[in-house]
Order: sequence, then C-alpha cells, then structure tokens
Amino acid sequence: MPTGTRAKPGVKDEDAELIRAINAGEGHRFQQLVEKYQQKLFNFGLRMCGEARDAEDMVQEAFLNAFRYLEGFRFETRFRNWLYRVAMSACLKTKRKARATRAETLSLEDFFPEDPAAMPEDVPSWARLPLERVLSAETSRYLQEAILDLPADHRSVLVLRDMEGLSTAETAQVLEITPANVKVRLHRARLFLRSRLKEHFEHAP
Amino acid sequence: MPPEPHDHEVCRALFARLSELIDRELTPAQSRRFERHLRACRHCQVCAETLRRTVELCRRAGESPVSGGLARRLQAMARRLTAAGGPPTAD
Ligand SMILES: [Zn+2]
Repeated sequence: MPTGTRAKPGVKDEDAELIRAINAGEGHRFQQLVEKYQQKLFNFGLRMCGEARDAEDMVQEAFLNAFRYLEGFRFETRFRNWLYRVAMSACLKTKRKARATRAETLSLEDFFPEDPAAMPEDVPSWARLPLERVLSAETSRYLQEAILDLPADHRSVLVLRDMEGLSTAETAQVLEITPANVKVRLHRARLFLRSRLKEHFEHAP
Repeated sequence: MPPEPHDHEVCRALFARLSELIDRELTPAQSRRFERHLRACRHCQVCAETLRRTVELCRRAGESPVSGGLARRLQAMARRLTAAGGPPTAD
C-alpha cells in the first residue's frame, strides 16, 4: 500500500487508538471500524460506480484489503483518508466496464461562453431560491446521473471534495496527484455539472 | 444598469478561478480584484451564483442507507477475518 505524502506530525486521528488496539491483538474490534465506515464507503461507492451491486462489492473488497494492510498503517495520513484510498483501488477493480462515460476529457474553453451577450443577465431561480426549494429527490437523482457521466478522474475529485468533504490537500493525498491538479479537475467537473443542472432546470415544467 | 466599461479578459480570468474563489483558496489580493469585478459584471454574477449552487447541491445530496444484506455480509466477513487471526485469503 503506498503511503503517499506524509501528514504533518501531530495530525489528530480519531481512529488511532482503535487501530493500535486492533494491531496489538484485539482483532475482534475490527468490527467497530466496519460499522463506523460502512455507510460512508457504500455511498462513496455508489457515487463512483452508480450501481448498488458494484458499490456493495467495492465496500466488501475495501474492508478486506483494509484488514490485510492495517498492520502496515503508519499513521502518516488520517485513517479515514487511507481507507478512501483503499476503497478507490477496490472501486477500479470491481467496477464493471459496462458503463462508458460520455465525456472523455473536459476543457475549460468548452464551458466558457463565447458570446457573453447570449448569457442571461439574471441569476436563474434554481440558483436564487433557498436550497430546500431546489433540492428535490428528482434533482438528486439527476445529479447522481450527471456525476456518473464525468470522466472517472474528474469524478473521483468531485466526489471526494464536494460530497465526502475532503480538503484539497487530503484529496491530493488520496488520489496521489498534486493539489493544483485537484483544483483544475474539480473546477472542470463543477462546470460540467453546472451545465447539466442548467439543462435540467431549464427543461423542468 | 448602465453599461460599465467592461474588461472581458477579467471575465475570462475569473471564470478560470471561480472555484478557488468559492473555496476561498485565492490570496486576499486576488479575491479583492475578482470581488470588485463581480459587483460590476452581471454575467460573472450569474456564473458565480450558478456554480456556487452546483457545489451546494453536491454537498447536500442525500445518502443512501446500507442494506441489511450488506451489513450482514460485512459483519460475517469481519467475524471470519478476525477469527482466523492473520491475514485472510480471498474467497
Ligand atoms: Zn465579468
């Protein structure tokens, strides 16, 4: 398991004590880690793979590998972020190749309006109204579909940053790319989703 | 609103860094420059607000619960792994 960039010494890891106990012979407590993170990993899997069945396989594979490699965990990153990295590898392994993403690459220019005169002058209602009035189950489903249409390397950044709530530095660490790269991919992914949301709301009755 | 003297190049520069502005990852000087432009440019306001809302929608998208079946599979797996003591072999 790659260790990636070292976290600053003194980074507090809420799981450190439990992991030390497990590695010191209290193996039965691994169950606690599973219970704590199963929900998180399952949703991460759903967002990355789209299919519940793939997400379930991914979660199982991820915990299996986490157990295998836990002894080698050196507290150089937060356990949660290490687990995301394990999950990401499991994701690539379990994902069935059935779904081809529509967009292969995203370029900034594609999203920049060439003719500013054609752009709306007013903020559309979906960006202006209170969030609760905009976020419906249908919009959530639509958004999930749009996320699945992102190229995989952009999707992973968006999911970690904007859905799982990792910082730019943490995302860079999990994906083993530079923070600058995280920012570039995140911005393009957001612009892609924004254009899809625009379509969604403009065609809504 | 009367048309302001408008520098399209600032629109372009802001567009490229809008996510960093939303995420507060720009230097104070950069932020000030873009905020000033935003106050004067309707197009960039629309751009910024729709992108901000996109991020909010992602952050607030709901979570799906783990099925009972998966929870049981995981529990059984953890029990099996830890009963074996050492690193398992994949089944
Ligand atoms: Zn502008």
